[in-house]
Amino acid sequence: MRKILSVIKREYLQIVRTKGFIIGTILGPVLMASFIIIPIVVSLVSVEKQEYISVIDLSQNIFVDLEKKLDAKLKDGSPRYVLEQYKLRGDVEELRQRLNERVLNKELSAYIFIPENISNGGEAEYVSEHVSDFDKIENVHKAINSVIIERRLKVGGLDPEKIGKYMKPVGLKTIKVSKRGEEEDTGGTFIVSYVLVIILYATLFYYGSIILRGVIEEKSSRVIEVILSSLRPFQLMAGKILGIAAVGFTQYVIWGLFGITAVTYSGALISGLFPTAGSFKIPSIPIYIFIYFVIFFILGYFLYGTLYAAVGSMVNSEKEAQQFLFPVSMFLVIPMLLMVYILRSPDSTLSVVLSLIPFFSPILMLLRICVLLPPFIEIGGSILLLIMNTLLMIWLAAKIYRIGILMYGKRPNFKEIVKWVRYK
Amino acid sequence: MNALEVENISKSFGDFYAVKNLSFFIPHGIIYGLLGPNGAGKTTAIRMVMNIIVPDEGNIKVLGRKIDEKMKEKIGYLPEDRGLYPKMKVGELLLFMAELKGLKREEAKKRIDFWLEKLSLQDWKGKKVEELSRGMQQKIQFIVTVIHKPDFIILDEPFSGLDPVNTKLLKDIMLEMKTDGCTIIFSTHRMEQVEMICDNICLINKGKMVLEGNLDEIKNQYGKNTIVLGYEGEADFIRDFKEIDRIDDYGKYMEIRVKEQTDAQDLLDKLVGKIRINRFEVKEPTLNAIFIEKVQEKNAKDSISN
Repeated sequence: MRKILSVIKREYLQIVRTKGFIIGTILGPVLMASFIIIPIVVSLVSVEKQEYISVIDLSQNIFVDLEKKLDAKLKDGSPRYVLEQYKLRGDVEELRQRLNERVLNKELSAYIFIPENISNGGEAEYVSEHVSDFDKIENVHKAINSVIIERRLKVGGLDPEKIGKYMKPVGLKTIKVSKRGEEEDTGGTFIVSYVLVIILYATLFYYGSIILRGVIEEKSSRVIEVILSSLRPFQLMAGKILGIAAVGFTQYVIWGLFGITAVTYSGALISGLFPTAGSFKIPSIPIYIFIYFVIFFILGYFLYGTLYAAVGSMVNSEKEAQQFLFPVSMFLVIPMLLMVYILRSPDSTLSVVLSLIPFFSPILMLLRICVLLPPFIEIGGSILLLIMNTLLMIWLAAKIYRIGILMYGKRPNFKEIVKWVRYK
Repeated sequence: MNALEVENISKSFGDFYAVKNLSFFIPHGIIYGLLGPNGAGKTTAIRMVMNIIVPDEGNIKVLGRKIDEKMKEKIGYLPEDRGLYPKMKVGELLLFMAELKGLKREEAKKRIDFWLEKLSLQDWKGKKVEELSRGMQQKIQFIVTVIHKPDFIILDEPFSGLDPVNTKLLKDIMLEMKTDGCTIIFSTHRMEQVEMICDNICLINKGKMVLEGNLDEIKNQYGKNTIVLGYEGEADFIRDFKEIDRIDDYGKYMEIRVKEQTDAQDLLDKLVGKIRINRFEVKEPTLNAIFIEKVQEKNAKDSISN
C-alpha cells in the first residue's frame, strides 16, 4: 500500500506541476465565463451605424410603406436605415449594374429589388456585398412581408389592424413541478443539465487521455520494467488511476470555488457594469444533483480510466492508440447523441433502459436526474450495475495491462488480446 | 543455500517456446554470467525470476523462497530495455525509485547523495533526466538498481553505451558488492567481460540450456587445444593443414583449434619462415570460441532434427 501511495504521489505531482494543468485549470472557468459574458458585452458595446439602402420598386407603390416599417432607430435617435427610391428609367439590367457598382464602392450597403408581381407570388431580392448579417436581412424581410400582407388584406376588404389583433400570439410559461412545489422554469433546467453533462463528458475524456498518455510514456520510455521489479502491474495501474483522480479532484475543487464565486457575484457584476442588461438570474440547483454528479463522475472515472489504461498498455504510441480508442470513445459519444432524446422524453421506457446501461449511465442517468428525479430504484439500480461493470472492467483491464505493458512491436489484434486475458 | 534456484521452467507465447525446461542454481556471493545469442530467452528467463511474467511450468526460488513483493525489496534489476521517466528530475526520480524499494525517505536521500557523488553525478541532481547523456542515464539506472543495498542483483548488459572509464567504475562496484556478499547475475554477449569477472556461467540458446558450470572448469574441459598466433603476412595456407580443426582469423592474429593429439610444436615448425610470427601461445579456448561453437553446433543439430 505504501508503494501505491508513492506512485499516486508521483503521478499527482508530475501532472499538477505541468503548464498544461495550470493553464487548463485556470482557463477552463475563464473560458466558460467568457461564453456567457462576451456575447453580452459585444451586444452592449457594438456600434451600429446608419445604412443606405436603395429600393427599385417595380410594383410602384410599396416604397412609402416600407420606409415606415423599417423605422429602427440608432442610439442617438437618427434612423438606422436610410432608404432612397430609384425611379426606373430605361433598362432594368443597366440600372442593376449601376447599383451593383455603388454597392461595391460602399456608397450603398444594399439595394432591394421589388418585382412587379410582388403581391401575387413574386420574390423580392436583397443585394449586398455581404449577406451574412442575418439580423438585418430578417428586418428587411419582415418589413416587406408585412407591407405586402397588409396590402393583400386591404385588397380583400379586411382591416389589417383588426387582423393583427386577432393574430396576436399567445404566451406560454413553463412551470416545473417537483416535490419542492411549482417553479417557473425559463430554460434553467436545460442549461444546468447541459452544463453538468458537458463537464462530466469533457473531464472523463480529459483525465482518460492523461492516463492513456502516462501509460504510453512508461511503455515507450521503457521505464516500466524497472518499476515492475518493485511493484505488481496492478499496483502501478491502480496508483496511476488514483493519482490522476487526485488531480481531477484538485481541478474540480478549484473550479468549484470559481463557480461559487461566479454565481455569488456575477449577477451583481453584470447588472452593475451594464445596467441595461436587466436582472441576471442564475437558476438554483438542488443539492442532490451535485451529489449524484460526484457519484457518477467517480464511477465513470474509474470505468473509463481503466479502459484508457488498458488501451495505453496495448499500443506503442499515441497515434496507434486512436484505433483502440474508437470503441471507448463511442461509449462516451453515444450518450451525448442521445441527450436530446432523453431531454424530450426522460421517462420513456427506452430512456430508462438506456440510462441503466453501465457505459452510458454516468451521463444519461445524471441527465435524467437533472430533468426529473427518477424513482430511487432506477438510480440505485444504475449505480449498482455501474459498480459491477466497473469492477469487471478493472479485472479485465488489469489482465490486459499486465501483459500489454511488456509487449513491444506489432500492435496486437483482438484474438491476441483475448489470449492475454487467458494467460496465467 | 543457493541465492537462486531455477527448476525446470518453461514459458511459451502462443506456439513459440521462449524458454524450455531451463534449470540452474546460483550459489551465494558469486557473479553468474547468463549468456546467449540474441533472442535466446535470457530476458524472458530473467523476467520470470523477477516475477514480472509467470512461468507456464517450473519453480523459482530466490534467496530460499518463492519470490513475493516483499522479496523484491532485496533484489535489484537493471533490465536490458532500460528507461527512466524523462521528465523527472534526477533527485526526485531516484527518491521515487528508492521508495518503491521500501526505503524510508531520509535514508533514501542520504544514499542518493552518496551514489551521485560516487558516480560523479552530483551536479545533475536537479536536472531533468532527458537532459542527461546516454552514459549518464545509464549510471542513474545503475544507482536505481543498487540504491536499496540488494542481496541479489540482475544486470542485463550493464555496460552497453559506457566508455571504458565508466565501464571500469561499474565493474569495480560490482566486484565490491560481490565481496560484500551480494549475488550478481550478469547477462551479456560480450565474452571478454564475462571472462574477466564471472565465476560461473550458463549459456542458453533457443530457450534451452547449452552449457553450465564453473567458468574455469568449463575451459579446462576443452583442454589446451587452442593456439593463438600473432602474425604478419599471407597466412591463408594454414587452413589446408590436416591437423587444423577450425580457425577464427582476426587479421592481426588468429585462434587456431587443433585436432587432438596434435603437437603444437610441429605446427610451429611448419610456419617458421613462411610468415612473420609475433606471438605463438598454446592455451584454453576463449569463451568467445566456445560460445560460437556451441551455438553453431546446436543450431546445426536443430536443423537436422527438424
